[in-house]
Amino acid sequence: MNKMKLFAGILLFGSLWGFSEIFIGSALTEIGLPAGAIMTGFFALTFLVISRMFYKQIGMQLGMGVIAGALRLFNPFAGCHLCSALAIMAEGAIFEIIWYKISFDLTELKTITTRVSMGILTSYVVYVGGFIVTQILTPIISGPGFYIENLISIMPNIFSSGLLPALIGGAVLPATILIKNVDVTIKDRLYYPTTIGVSVLCWCIVVGIWFLMGA
Amino acid sequence: MISGKEKIISILAISVLLLGIFSVLYVNATQINKDTITIDGNEYTLNQIFSMCTKCSIVTDEGEKTGIALDDLILKIGINCPACHNYVIKAEDKYQQTVSWDILKTGILTDYGRVYFPDTAHTFWVRNVIEIEVK
Repeated sequence: MNKMKLFAGILLFGSLWGFSEIFIGSALTEIGLPAGAIMTGFFALTFLVISRMFYKQIGMQLGMGVIAGALRLFNPFAGCHLCSALAIMAEGAIFEIIWYKISFDLTELKTITTRVSMGILTSYVVYVGGFIVTQILTPIISGPGFYIENLISIMPNIFSSGLLPALIGGAVLPATILIKNVDVTIKDRLYYPTTIGVSVLCWCIVVGIWFLMGA
Repeated sequence: MISGKEKIISILAISVLLLGIFSVLYVNATQINKDTITIDGNEYTLNQIFSMCTKCSIVTDEGEKTGIALDDLILKIGINCPACHNYVIKAEDKYQQTVSWDILKTGILTDYGRVYFPDTAHTFWVRNVIEIEVK
């Protein structure tokens, strides 16, 4: 695949992921729902799997995580910006590792049982892994330092918090795979303006609001 | 016919589900519910703590927060050489964060048991505090 085309795809899906984390995630938090679990089990998994199915490129989801995490840093709403950004970046990387041995045509995921299982496994490991990475890196990057006993004390909480995204992922992955055979062909003259235009729009909205709110 | 890879995926999915379920049960069984906060081994109610210290406000990126200054609290309960220690702030769900005196002295404890520090990531804003361990 043309590198430029891949980069535009990473930018598009990463921006959409980050955009949804900011606006939908913040709205879910505001109404008291478990935003992290829903965002990972539904939105992150959907964007990651769709991009994997249509682009069939190793490394794309890692790049998406970096773009989404970077956008999440500009979240104009309340919350732990650094923690979430690091978790999202880790989620992209962990997805790459889990799906490394899965073929691009998803031949391993033929049966509904395997699709549900893969959804559960991916969502759980991505969410728990992202949680652990952010608990280690946030104190290091933000200054106070990392203490292993703090991580050990909350490991049961982290393991338990992965249950909801796992259940959501078990339902979302089989549904997402259903669109595998949809033929999406966009001509280059439309592809670049669309992908870059949507990405720029996501960034302008987020950074614009962040700037206006004086963050 | 189910391939080896499919079997592994199913087994791993069941394993993580069991891990999640047992962790939920463990977390619920071990959650500590109490009305006091343990500071350096001694129990204090929030009313006692708030009667000992003067209320103050700090500005965070989530707005102004009011409570009692944590450095005032540590000095009032008589910790010797407060700058010589680290402080482990523990929540009822076992969540905990360790901060130095330099960070602790910028923070407050609210009347709903949450600590805020104006210059740290929110991960240090421990909710439902039940203990401040002096190390």
